[in-house]
Amino acid sequence: MGDILGLIGKRLGLGVFILFVISIIIFFMVELLPGDIAQAVLGQGATEENLAALRKQMGLDQPALVRYGEWLAGAVTLDFGSSIVTGERVTTVIGERFMNTLFLAAYAAVIAVPVAIILGVIVALLRNSIFDRVANVVTLSFISSPEFFLGYILILFFAVKWQMFPAISSLSEGMSLGELLIRTFLPALTLVLVVMAHMMRMTRAAIINLLASPYIEMAKLKGAPPWKVIVKHALPNAWAPIINVVALNLAYLITGVVLVEVVFVYPGIGQALVDAVSKRDFPIVQACCLIFAATFILLNLAADVGAILTNPRLRHPK
Amino acid sequence: MSVFVIGYYTLLLAVSCLAAFYNKRQIFMVAFGLTLVSFILGIVGGTAALQAVAICAGLLGLAAMVSFAFREFLIQISSAEMGKELRTAPMTAAFGMFVIFVYIIMGIFAPWIAPHGEAEVIASAFAPADENMLLGADQLGRDMFSRIIYGARNSVGLALAATIAAFVLGALAGLLAATKGGWFDQFMGRVADVIMSIPSLIFALLMLSIFGPHIHVIIIAVAVIYAPRVFRLTRAVAGNVVVMDYIEAAQLRGEGTWYLIRREILPNSTAPLVAEFGLEFCFVFLLVAGLSFLGLGIQPPTADWGSMVRENATLISFGDITPLIPAAAIALLTVGVNFVVDWMLHRSSGLKE
Repeated sequence: MGDILGLIGKRLGLGVFILFVISIIIFFMVELLPGDIAQAVLGQGATEENLAALRKQMGLDQPALVRYGEWLAGAVTLDFGSSIVTGERVTTVIGERFMNTLFLAAYAAVIAVPVAIILGVIVALLRNSIFDRVANVVTLSFISSPEFFLGYILILFFAVKWQMFPAISSLSEGMSLGELLIRTFLPALTLVLVVMAHMMRMTRAAIINLLASPYIEMAKLKGAPPWKVIVKHALPNAWAPIINVVALNLAYLITGVVLVEVVFVYPGIGQALVDAVSKRDFPIVQACCLIFAATFILLNLAADVGAILTNPRLRHPK
Repeated sequence: MSVFVIGYYTLLLAVSCLAAFYNKRQIFMVAFGLTLVSFILGIVGGTAALQAVAICAGLLGLAAMVSFAFREFLIQISSAEMGKELRTAPMTAAFGMFVIFVYIIMGIFAPWIAPHGEAEVIASAFAPADENMLLGADQLGRDMFSRIIYGARNSVGLALAATIAAFVLGALAGLLAATKGGWFDQFMGRVADVIMSIPSLIFALLMLSIFGPHIHVIIIAVAVIYAPRVFRLTRAVAGNVVVMDYIEAAQLRGEGTWYLIRREILPNSTAPLVAEFGLEFCFVFLLVAGLSFLGLGIQPPTADWGSMVRENATLISFGDITPLIPAAAIALLTVGVNFVVDWMLHRSSGLKE
C-alpha cells in the first residue's frame, strides 16, 4: 500500500506544482500588456494624475513580485480582488455563477456518462457491424461540429418549432428543481451530445483493446459463456480505462461549457469570462482562468489517480 | 394514405426483398430496419416525418454517389501506385476528400464565384432571399451567400496558417528534442506538460484579452496552444526512429543534426505526422471558429463563419435556418477532414480490429 500512496502523493505534488506554474503564467501575462492595466482601463487620453491615482489605488506602484504574492495569497483564500470596470468584488460576481456552471456540467455528466459507457460497450461488442459503422460516422460528426452549431439546431427544433423547452435559460431564485431541470435542458443536451460522442469512441477503443488480450481468448477457449467473459474477465480490467475516459471527458466539459453558456445566455462562469475578456476586466479574467485551469487539472489528476488505483500493474510497480 | 406514403413503403420493402434475395445482409438490415422505424415515425410524426426521412436518405444517396464518382475520378488521374491506395479508401474518406476539394476551389476563386463583395451593402437588413441574393441579406444588408463564399477563404485560411505555425513549432521542437536528448528534451517535455494542462479555449481567451483580437495574435496564440500536442507525437515517433542503426551510421559518418533531421528522421516519420496535421487542423479550426463566434476572431467587415453565426443568430427564433449555414459549413469541413484522417490513421497503423 505504501507504494500506491507514494505514487499518488507524487502525482498530487506534480498537480500542485503545475497549478503554481499556471498561476505565474496567468498573472505575469497581464504584465506583458503594452503600457499597464491602468493605461488599458483609462485609455490613451488619460492624464498623468489620473493614471498615477489609479495605479496607487490598484497597488501598481509596487513591484510585480510583491503584487503576485498578494494575488496568490488572495487566490488561495478565494479572494481575487475587485473588478476594474464595476468595482465589485470578483468573488461575489463569480461565486454564484460558478455554482450554476457546476450544476450544468453535473446535469450533463449525469446523463452522458452512463449512456455513453453502455453504448460504447455495445458498439465495441458489435464491432465491424453496420451499427458500429453508423455509430462511428455519427459520433465523428458530433465531435466535428462546433458546440454552437449543435446548440442552435436544438434551439431551432426544440424551442422554436416544437416549443418544448425554453431557448434561453434564465434562472431565478427559488425555482423548483423540476423547473430548473427543464430550463437548463437544452444547454445540458448540447453538452451531452458532444461529450457522449467523445466518451463512446474512447470506451469503444478501450474495450476493443481489452478484448484482444490473450486472457480473454483463453477464457473463450476454455468455454466460458460470453456474458461471463465480459463480466468476470473483461470488466474488472476495463474499470481503469473507463474511469480515465470519464475523467478526461469531464475535463473536456469545462471547455465546452463556455460556448454553450454563450449560446443559451446561461448565467455561468463561462459567460462571465467572455464578458470580462471583451471589457478587458483583467481581475475577473485571471480569476476565471485560474478556476477553469484548476478544475481541469483536478479532473486530469482524478483520471491518473483512478488509473493507478484500479490498475494492479501500476499498483505494484516493478 | 397519400401516394407518397404508399410509394415510400413500397420502395423500402422492394429494396429489402431484393437485398434478401441477393443475400446482401447489411443492405437488408438497413432497409428493413428503416421500414420498422418508419412505422413508429409515421404514427408519431405523420407524413412530414416520413418526408424528412426520405429527404435525408436522398441526400445520403447523393453524397454517396458524388463520393464514389470523385474517388473514381481521383483513381483515373493519379498514378498506378496512388490509384491502388485510393481504391482502399472507404466512401466516407472519399466524401471527405470531395469536401476538401470543394472548399479549396471556393477559397481560391472566391472573388469570381461570389456575386457581390464581402463588405458590400446591397439591401436592407435581413432582407429575404430573391433572385439577386440566394440566401437573403445579413444584419447589415450584405449578401449572405457571397459572405459564406468569402468565409471559406478567410476562416479556413486563418485556421490553416495557425495550424502550420503550430506544426512547424511543435515538429521542430520534437525533432530537436529527439536528436539532442538530455536536458533540452526534459525541459521541452515539462513545458509541454504545463501548456497542455490549461484548457485551450481558456488559454486563447486569456491571450486575446491581453493582446487584443488581431490576426497575428490569434495565429501565435493557437500555435503556442497546439504545438505541445505536435511536439509529443513528433518526439514519440522520432524517438523510435533515432535508435535505428542507419541513424547511428549517419552519425558515425559525421553528419550534423540538421542533416539527420531532414534526410533520415523526417522521411521515416511522415505518415503519422500527416495524419496528425489533419487532426490538428480540425482542433484549430473549431477553436478559431469558437473564438470568432465569441467575437474575438477576425474582425468585421471581413466575412468569417463563426462571427456570421453570432451576428445573425436572432433569425433562428423566427425559424429561419440561414444563420445555421455558416455553422454547417464549419462542421462539414471538420467532418470531411476527420473522415480522411480516420482512413489514413487506419491505413498507417494497420489496425485490424
